[in-house]
Amino acid sequence: MKISIEWLQEYVEIRESPEKLKEDLSMIGLLVESMTKVHGTHVLEIEVTSNRPDCLSHIGMAREIAALYSRPLKWPTVQAKLSIPSDRIPYAIEIRDEELCPRYVGLVMDGIKVGTSPDWMQRRLESAGMRPLNNVVDITNYVLLEMGHPLHAFDYDVLRKGKIVVARARQGERFQTLDGMERELDGEMLMINDGEGPVAIAGVMGGMNSEISLSTTRVLIESAYFGPASIRRTSKKLGLSTEASYRFERGADWDNTVPAIARTCSLIEQLAGGKIAGSLQDIYPRKKDPVRITLRQANTKALLGADLTSEFIESTLRRLNFDLAPEGEKAWLVTCPTYRADMELEADLIEELARFYGYGNIPATLPPSKTIGIHSPVYRLENSIREIISSQGYNEAINLSFANEMDHLEFPPLQGERAAVRNPLTEDTQYMRTSLAAGLVRSAKRNFNYGQRLVRLFELGKVYHLGSDGVPFERNVLGILGTGGFTDQNWKNPSASFDFFHLKGVLSKLLQGVRVPSFEIEPAGKIPWLNPAESAVLKIGKETAGVLGSLSASLEEKYKLKQPAYLAEIDFACIEKFAFAPPSYDPLPKYPSAERDISIVVSRDLAFQTIHKGILQLGICELVRLQLIDVYEGEKIPEGKVSLTLRLTFQDREKTLTVDRVQDFIDTILSFIHKTYGVGLRSI
Amino acid sequence: MSESIDNLRRLFEEDLAAIDGMESWKAVRDKYLARESGVITTELKKLRDLPKEARPAFGQAMNQLRALVEKKLQERLDEAKAAEASTKLQRIDVTRPGFPFALGSIHPIKRLQSEIEQIFVSMGFQIFNLPEIERDYYNFEGLNMPRNHPARDAQDTFYFDDSVLLRTHCSSVQVHAMEELKPPIRAISTGKVYRRDPFDATHSPMFYQVDVIVIEEGITMGDLKGMLDVFLKRMFHSDIRMRLRPGFFPFVEPGAEVDISCIFCSGKGCPTCKQSGWVEILGAGMVHPKVLRMSGIDDSRYSGFAWGMGIDRVAILKHGVDDIRLFFENDLRFLRQF
Ligand SMILES: [Zn+2]
Repeated sequence: MKISIEWLQEYVEIRESPEKLKEDLSMIGLLVESMTKVHGTHVLEIEVTSNRPDCLSHIGMAREIAALYSRPLKWPTVQAKLSIPSDRIPYAIEIRDEELCPRYVGLVMDGIKVGTSPDWMQRRLESAGMRPLNNVVDITNYVLLEMGHPLHAFDYDVLRKGKIVVARARQGERFQTLDGMERELDGEMLMINDGEGPVAIAGVMGGMNSEISLSTTRVLIESAYFGPASIRRTSKKLGLSTEASYRFERGADWDNTVPAIARTCSLIEQLAGGKIAGSLQDIYPRKKDPVRITLRQANTKALLGADLTSEFIESTLRRLNFDLAPEGEKAWLVTCPTYRADMELEADLIEELARFYGYGNIPATLPPSKTIGIHSPVYRLENSIREIISSQGYNEAINLSFANEMDHLEFPPLQGERAAVRNPLTEDTQYMRTSLAAGLVRSAKRNFNYGQRLVRLFELGKVYHLGSDGVPFERNVLGILGTGGFTDQNWKNPSASFDFFHLKGVLSKLLQGVRVPSFEIEPAGKIPWLNPAESAVLKIGKETAGVLGSLSASLEEKYKLKQPAYLAEIDFACIEKFAFAPPSYDPLPKYPSAERDISIVVSRDLAFQTIHKGILQLGICELVRLQLIDVYEGEKIPEGKVSLTLRLTFQDREKTLTVDRVQDFIDTILSFIHKTYGVGLRSI
Repeated sequence: MSESIDNLRRLFEEDLAAIDGMESWKAVRDKYLARESGVITTELKKLRDLPKEARPAFGQAMNQLRALVEKKLQERLDEAKAAEASTKLQRIDVTRPGFPFALGSIHPIKRLQSEIEQIFVSMGFQIFNLPEIERDYYNFEGLNMPRNHPARDAQDTFYFDDSVLLRTHCSSVQVHAMEELKPPIRAISTGKVYRRDPFDATHSPMFYQVDVIVIEEGITMGDLKGMLDVFLKRMFHSDIRMRLRPGFFPFVEPGAEVDISCIFCSGKGCPTCKQSGWVEILGAGMVHPKVLRMSGIDDSRYSGFAWGMGIDRVAILKHGVDDIRLFFENDLRFLRQF
């Protein structure tokens, strides 16, 4: 709301500098967003919150300032007579929907000369951000900005039946508003009709058909009160917000209807030569009572924690035009001004008191704690994952939770349906993401563009699916991406580049770090966005907990990565289910262990895990560790074969192992391998 | 007598200083410490010639001298060995860079989020982990924002259907906490929230919030101020000052906007605070009686306060970040700074 200080001074004396006024208004909840100079006067742009429609006018602001500085409020003078003994122009007002229009005040004037309004009025309208049109329209706008009540002037001669009928529109009816737009109405919208058809959308905008023109000489002026919810619904539905709808939807003052029309009438007489021709009619089928609230002094203390004296309470509320009648001991029945649409409960009155007492004067206290602090169930796991994985060189990423059509084509969901946003902002917010992969790949690509080829990212965030009931749901997912060198180029650098086993290694470290007792990584079936030759699933217990592998060749090409990128996507809930298995102490061995390395040549197709499991199933309980320490393929090995070097560690808890026993274990293992896989020790 | 011992010591120091190799070291050692003919043994033999009462003092002094000689000779030997060893070794160039173990980073917003949670847990709060996809009731209706409430304008919302939406704030924790817990209640929830604001330097369709609710007997606005003060001082700096201005949020009454003294200019005035010395940090207030009643809390017995704060806003202020988009672009040049 733009408020001109020059205009404001017509209603209240202002001795303060604009800067001081700005500061003081902010401290009673009227935030001055900016201050400019228009036509030589300071104009304050005030952020009026939606609960204070009474401040959407110069008098409204003057009322607050008068209360703030304890100064009198000066009302504009109104000289016009509102009724005459016999109407020259008879007219009728009929309200067919009292719910949506509890009060409608009208009068008719004739002898009007439509022209331009005087300079002082044009200047004031402009300083408040309104464009002058003609004297009649300018006057209704002027009164709107002065008194806060929206008015409308109809060209009386185009009202076909000489009457006003307030009723809901017919479903599907079409109507052209003043802005020239053709609008489709529905049966919930309140309309002003002339007995033949609609001439205005009540409280929102007039019709092209009843617009004031240069040839207009007779006008019917409307000053009504329309229900806020209905006006807001109509305004939203039509996508049409006006100065009038803005005020009605927040709550106008039904008792301001007559003063506003009187002021309008008076100005039209003075500035447009009009005379009253049809007396004021006040159709008020549903009398609205002012709000009355009981206020107890004890409750002001209970809510604010400050001691407000009864003198302070009474004088503050009276300054704000509330009426107080004592109601028992230290309590009042407070009658609220009808313009205070925000008054409903005792707490609303207490806020008024607090505003003028000053929030800063309420003493700060610290309530003793009666509760125990409890972290969210995922706090520990999320933070552990974050600490472990970031300490392995990964940077935490946050991507938007949305997805576009392309994301879903490139990274189709591995499970469930995608959830669509009904009112997306752009095509990039059309859907909710079903995977973290798309965001991570795009983040990597962005870094490539900045010349950053070594990228390690992780993201702990949600993905979203459509549930079987059609309602979207969300689940937590851990995404990891690695691409580029294994470490930064450095003189000590092992020149390896990041590959599947680095990804698997970091994932394994992570799972061990959060004490998931056992997990396996197995070859995967088809995963749309992963390379089929380098893809795997993570299994925890019997559950599939996620996927990992390298980005498919087609996506690598499409994103022009020019280097392989490795991705993992793991279900957080699955980790959560198994994480933090309580550690149990295993007594330290008293006897030395023995290590033996063996090299075996096996078919390339034989998975290491198969050999590993086979050896473990031999049941040699002295075998405490099995490591794969070397893999060799090449000249000395037949085509299609691979040499694996295993390091076996044996340990007996009861006694020192003899060389012979260790040899027995090795023999058992080798004969098993030979028998089962048809291979043996590699001869070097 | 003590003179002769001092004299001996001086002689020894001179001999020690003159050592220039193993040979001379051995010669000095033998000169003083040789079992039969060493200076110290020879001197000790003079003990017999002394009067009885002077003997113990002399003996003690001589033993001290022997210990000193042994110690100094050993030190001289160690020095010589160390010097010899160092001449044989090739020195590594310690100024070359160390092995490039990679150091990752935790996202600044996530780090703040867990810091905030820690602060509240220490003040007796329970942390709620709530859905981002929320029912209209928890995001609006239950917070005194019925359909067609103009306050909904300030929070342009992404919808899935008429009653399911992306939460626009974490204030849903108010309704959830009141439904799940009995007073006394202290709860917070943090996380992503969404509004239909196009991306620019100060807006993002997705950002992070923390919302706080306390419902107890006898809670006042003074308590709100006290707890805000503790929280803001721990979050920012113990010198921070705050001020409350009247503000409007449909789920609180009275409502407040909370400013803190500008952390860039300590309140003196600078471009960040538009020369006012204050920056807006959060919205707060006393829980609206209607909100209490809707969630089945007896508002004649209990009162409470609530506040909501943008975590990105804190990150922007704490780290001096000038563009909110940086938080969601995952540029390593940005992330590595945290
Ligand atoms: Zn500043």
